[in-house]
Amino acid sequence: MSRFFANGSDSESESSEEEVQASNFNKATNFQFSDDEEEVKRVVRSTKEKRYENLTSIIKTIRNHKKIKDIPNTLSSFEDLTRAYTKALPVISKEENGITPRFYIRCLAELEDFINEVWEDREGRKNLSKNNAKSLGTLRQKVRKYIKDFEEDLARFREAPDQESDVEEGEGEAHESDADRAGADSDDGVGAGAGKLAELPKAAKSVTTKAVADDDDSDDSIDWDSDTESETESSEDENLYQNMRERFLKRTTEKEDKDDDKRKDKRKEQKHKVRKRAEDDEDGEWETVVKGNVVEKPKMFEKDAEIDIPLVLAKLIEIMSARGKKRTDRRLQIDLLFELRDIAEQHDLGTPISVKIHFNIISAIFDYNQKISEPMKLEHWALLLEVMQSMMKLLLANPDIIMNESVAEEHEEYVTAPYYIRGCPLAAVERLDDEFTKLLKECDPHSNDYVSRLKDEINVVKTIELVVQYFERCGNNNERCRIYLRKIEHLYYKFDPEVLKRKRGELPATGSAPSSVEVMDKLCKFIYAKDDTDRIRTRAILAHIYHHAMHDNWFQARDLVLMSHLQDNIDAADPSTRILYNRMMANLGLCAFRQENIKDAHHCLVDLMVTGKPKELLAQGLLPQRQHERSAEQEKIEKQRQMPFHMHINLELLECVYLVSAMLLEIPYIAAHEFDARRRMISKTFYQQLRSSERQSLVGPPESMREHVVAAAKAMRCGNWQACANFIVNKKMNTKVWDLFYESERVREMLVKFIKEESLRTYLFTYSNVYTSISIPSLAQMYELPLPKVHSIISKMIINEELMASLDDPSETVVMHRSEPSRLQALAMQFVDKVTNLVDVNEKVFDMKQGNFFQRGNMGNRDRGYNRNQNNQGGNWGGQRRDNRNQRNRNQRGHHKQQQQQQQQQVQTIEEE
Amino acid sequence: MANRGGRHARNEDSENTINYVQCDGLAVMKMIKHCHEESSNMDLAQGALLGLVVDKCLEITNCFPFPKSGDETMDEEMYQLTVMRRLRRVNVDHLHVGWYQSSDVGNSLSLALLESQYHYQTSIEESVVVVYDTQKSSRGFLCLKAYRLTPQAIQMYKDGDFTPEAFRTLKVGYESLFAEIPIVIKNSPLTNIMMSELNELLPEDKGHNFLDLGTASVLENHMRSLIERVDELYQEAVRYNKYQQVVFKQDTEKHRALAKLAAENAVRTSKGEPTVSEEEVIKQFRPLPVPARLTATITSGQINTHAQHIAQFCSQSLAKLFITESLQNAKETKEIK
Repeated sequence: MSRFFANGSDSESESSEEEVQASNFNKATNFQFSDDEEEVKRVVRSTKEKRYENLTSIIKTIRNHKKIKDIPNTLSSFEDLTRAYTKALPVISKEENGITPRFYIRCLAELEDFINEVWEDREGRKNLSKNNAKSLGTLRQKVRKYIKDFEEDLARFREAPDQESDVEEGEGEAHESDADRAGADSDDGVGAGAGKLAELPKAAKSVTTKAVADDDDSDDSIDWDSDTESETESSEDENLYQNMRERFLKRTTEKEDKDDDKRKDKRKEQKHKVRKRAEDDEDGEWETVVKGNVVEKPKMFEKDAEIDIPLVLAKLIEIMSARGKKRTDRRLQIDLLFELRDIAEQHDLGTPISVKIHFNIISAIFDYNQKISEPMKLEHWALLLEVMQSMMKLLLANPDIIMNESVAEEHEEYVTAPYYIRGCPLAAVERLDDEFTKLLKECDPHSNDYVSRLKDEINVVKTIELVVQYFERCGNNNERCRIYLRKIEHLYYKFDPEVLKRKRGELPATGSAPSSVEVMDKLCKFIYAKDDTDRIRTRAILAHIYHHAMHDNWFQARDLVLMSHLQDNIDAADPSTRILYNRMMANLGLCAFRQENIKDAHHCLVDLMVTGKPKELLAQGLLPQRQHERSAEQEKIEKQRQMPFHMHINLELLECVYLVSAMLLEIPYIAAHEFDARRRMISKTFYQQLRSSERQSLVGPPESMREHVVAAAKAMRCGNWQACANFIVNKKMNTKVWDLFYESERVREMLVKFIKEESLRTYLFTYSNVYTSISIPSLAQMYELPLPKVHSIISKMIINEELMASLDDPSETVVMHRSEPSRLQALAMQFVDKVTNLVDVNEKVFDMKQGNFFQRGNMGNRDRGYNRNQNNQGGNWGGQRRDNRNQRNRNQRGHHKQQQQQQQQQVQTIEEE
Repeated sequence: MANRGGRHARNEDSENTINYVQCDGLAVMKMIKHCHEESSNMDLAQGALLGLVVDKCLEITNCFPFPKSGDETMDEEMYQLTVMRRLRRVNVDHLHVGWYQSSDVGNSLSLALLESQYHYQTSIEESVVVVYDTQKSSRGFLCLKAYRLTPQAIQMYKDGDFTPEAFRTLKVGYESLFAEIPIVIKNSPLTNIMMSELNELLPEDKGHNFLDLGTASVLENHMRSLIERVDELYQEAVRYNKYQQVVFKQDTEKHRALAKLAAENAVRTSKGEPTVSEEEVIKQFRPLPVPARLTATITSGQINTHAQHIAQFCSQSLAKLFITESLQNAKETKEIK
């Protein structure tokens, strides 16, 4: 706006041409006239100039239209104007600080007047053409509606009557030029524009003279804008100040070039100028740095205030009421609370208050971190732990303090003996525990960081222990169950070697501290008895089983699993419980393996391993998904479920145990059922490994754990137990897998024993058909097994009808019965099965036909039946033919069977030969 | 069966373009060599037969192998033509009279074989396919079979219609898809002379090799593939059975609809209204797609050949058994004496 005025002043002071051109904003002036002077070189225009030019030109046309009462055109121009104004709005708000340009307001006022005038003039209105009258109505409505937004500005405009005359004058000028409108239209426009521009500074001048008295700042303002600003936007917005100053600045620089004699207060101008000049260069980006919101730390209490319980409480409530608000400085809040605690302690206000403040500090620390998924800062964590422990100590030391979430705010009691405090240490400790897990998950598990974090686990456990003590003193069953579960969850995955020692009688069974198994037993039994939410009980059972399995209490663990029927309804549980279930199963499998229950071990592990992603099932890491990407949301959730590293179960150990037990089961089975058509594989995963190694054209010495197992399986297939045992138990496998077991030596011995036995079985299955009899001692020698063991294995096989043989005691030999079919015979048997199947189906096909036939007979309408048959069957074998065929088929079948028998006889005879 | 026999007689003129195949020793040796060298589990060895037709007898005098299919830079047709042209220059029969293929325990009769033979036979009237069984031959049983498609089979394949209906009208069965043509191996007198001379050079006790009975693996292999084929056929039968059931269901529905229509029509005629024709109702039931029977037929054919092979093998073995028995007896009596 100010620039606009400056332009005006330029055009006015046309006499001093050189000066104008020299001035730094003559480009604007030039531009004003560039429309008709093409030779003037192009200048870059600012958006402001462009918009304003647009606006003024439209205003001009409106004025022209009004003169000749061309209402439809006035309407369309008005619409253009509003549109142009909305376009210019951003510029205006930037440059003019949101104040509507004066010329615009003027135009609106004139338009309104014009409309009112025309509207009032009923006579004239009647004479208007239909088109005009219609447009007038619309225009009036539109203007009225539009003007509402500018009511204030308009009112202010109308308050300045002194401008009216100027306008009149300008208009008169324009009118003159209008008269010879037939001439160059552009010239006319320019003339009018010039006239109008010219009038403005005059107005400004008059305004200035009026406003001089106001104050120092506003005396050089051209309009009342600054006044209104100070009125309406008196709120101290720095930004505003800045803008205003900016405006000032511009104005002053522009004013430099104004005619000096017109200025009465030039002296002041100069001062401004000098001051602002320096800053002129950085005009655009001139900004004050907003200083940090340094709020003075509010004084806790008045110096001389008597500090007593209600006062401290009030303060506490005051601090806490800011909680959760956006502006609240959370760090400050924590500091304040600490200060408050110190004050309370200084003045000896008693433990209840102290406890209350402690509790509030805890929640404030929890509040500090706004994102739930991210762990808290380390210093806060340390603080939190400390505060939590001291609070619990206070609570435990003062049995007359009752802290409970069921206590209502208004029933809190701090003064007399049974103190009541509202608050829930249980929730706090649960949150604390969760935060700890988050912290752990944040660390790289292989760094020292993790170890140092993990050291806090002891403190967490101690804190939980404190809370347990508290709730054992005063807590209902539900709360006790919850806190017990927390304790269990910190206990169940930890191995206590003392338990095993005690079991073996190396340590006295009683006395000293209870072992972890006993503690676990106690906690879990309480939960079993008292818990009424299913979830806690389920988790307790799972943890209990896990713990038992860990300490080789195979039978207790197994019985618990079987009694709880968890397998049936675990699918309905929440993910974290299912993860716990998977972990439990994995550990149970390992336990079964250690306890020489190979079959059970396999059963436990098969569900986990068959999917091929035990890592995910045990929540020990995310696998990249091929089919569909996880959304960020889902990934976050899944990450939250992950187990911290120190609780992981070694996957390689798990897989190895699974594969080895699968091998011990599968290889003898394969050998026993070589020709069985209905043979099913026991373990798919193991089979796949075996297959893939068989497919390789060149098999090198085994490298990985899997290759070792596969190589061992191959050795076992031909009964070579020595090679098999070497593949399973060697240095490489020891470091990789077996050493991970507690008492690994025992496990290895067990393994070798099993390998011997199963190899012996495999050997008997595979090679029994080449023996007529085998001596047991030589077998025992071969497999380095004691005689009775071999004897028992063979007897078992005979009893299970796996081996067709009998034992000859005096000679200590196994005599083969040789009743198993030879390979060809087995094939022939299989073939017979297949052929019977085929014949059955064929029979069915003919039964269908037969059925049709009877139906057709019943229908009585032979012709149609015939047609239908032909249509649908596509092949109508006549009755006779069918019979033939039937018979032939039978013959064929007979033939097949004959052939079969023939073959078998033949084969036998050949073999006999 | 009698019917079919009669038809055979009728078609004799067209069918008896060739009565037997006479194969030169050279060609046989070349084929065997090629098949043993190049056939594996995965791919088959194939080649072209060259010869002449003389009086209902196809004389195969020479052959050459086709290049392995893996090489794409080679134009197979060009290759064949060049080979034949060059053979012609050295005065060898250059008429293309068929092709040969290696096979594994009688797994020869397949859809692919049927297709190729169809193309051969439609372009060269008297062409045959000779199938050489590598596995069985390596066990001591020379297995060389010549096959031709029967005219019905050609007709059927030309129509491309494999519904039971088409099978019925063309009277094609599994036994009448392929016609086996006897093969005679003929050597030149000079070769025969050399053979008999070699025979005399052979020491006397080495001549019992033909009595070898340790060939159970042949039987096993046959059984295995037989089992496979039977399985396939079983699948086909199940499929057909399902189809039948669906058709039956549709039939009953249609019948019900027709009955309903008849009742309605009766009412209408009593009222004097025009009746609705049955076709409207029949239109609602679209005929179901009939399962193709070609694979089933081919599988049956294979089973048939397998059975034949087994029977042949067994009878041979039995014969051997008896021969050895009598030989043994003779030996024993000799020793006693």
